[in-house]
Amino acid sequence: MNKLCLAVLALAWVAGCGGNSPAAPLLVTDLDIRAPRPGTEMGTAYLKLTNNHDEALTITRVSSPQFGRVELHETVSEGEVSRMRALSELEIEAGTTVHLAPGQKHLMLMQPRAGAGAVSLSFWSGEALLVSVTADSGGG
Amino acid sequence: MYPRNLIVALLLGVALAAGVLLSLRHSNDAPALKTATVLPTGLELPDFRLTDHTGAPADPSIFEGQWDLVFFGFTNCPDICPLTLQVLADARRRLAESGFEPLPRVVLVSVDPERDSAESLGAYINSFGTGNLGLTGPVTELRKFADALGIYFNKVGTATDFYTVDHSSVVIVIDPDGEYRALFSSPHVTDQFVHDLPILIRS
Repeated sequence: MNKLCLAVLALAWVAGCGGNSPAAPLLVTDLDIRAPRPGTEMGTAYLKLTNNHDEALTITRVSSPQFGRVELHETVSEGEVSRMRALSELEIEAGTTVHLAPGQKHLMLMQPRAGAGAVSLSFWSGEALLVSVTADSGGG
Repeated sequence: MYPRNLIVALLLGVALAAGVLLSLRHSNDAPALKTATVLPTGLELPDFRLTDHTGAPADPSIFEGQWDLVFFGFTNCPDICPLTLQVLADARRRLAESGFEPLPRVVLVSVDPERDSAESLGAYINSFGTGNLGLTGPVTELRKFADALGIYFNKVGTATDFYTVDHSSVVIVIDPDGEYRALFSSPHVTDQFVHDLPILIRS
């Protein structure tokens, strides 16, 4: 029942303006896309994710037309050692904001398909598209 | 009328007190390091054989003649490595703008020689500014260098085909004699380097 409700909400929003809107279950703000630097094929995205839904949302996948693979990772510092671990999913409690920031959680943008420019990111929960956003990439 | 000896004694006493107070005040004004940790004595580097980002051979003598800020990382590192290298580049730029000399050099030593060729390393470090140095080479030589500095690195496979490398995130300071002198612990903040580097370099 909950998944159906979520899917209906998502479809209703997608059928609407098709972009980030306050009524969308998942709101993306402060999107900061770092294009792959010369010598690499690895980009990074930082952003804030706000759950406007009255139940927890779980992001299970992120996709981008500009990158063959997008993964969610977290930098963990254990003493003086920096480790990076893949996160298979990200749960955001109802009414809360998760911040993907430098030195913490971040999106890894791999296998670039195009040159520097606008990058679109889509956030999914299972088969339901929660939100899609586009921003120019900086850096690189 | 006081005895002359007493007057002389009082004047000497005042002069002595003034001298002590002035020297105390001067030592309180001496700048103190906020973040960097200085080693008790300079540490000689091991005799490694690596390659710099131009493809030229590199041994410990490459660190002689200037101050170096050395970070062990890799080009496929999406977060900590570009973050740290940007902090170092920003600190160097701010020191240059303030007219400070001599400016330290930024060095990236690769912990991922499988993917970090001299060419890719060069393109990467040049994106952070000019005058940087990149080092790569056989993993046994990189391990020899890292071990001597207490630097840890370990290749880790993730759930996908892509692999990452866990690594120490300290910034090592090497002096113009080519010896390991100090280190900065993470998290790295530009202001910390701008404050401490002049003290380290001038001491």
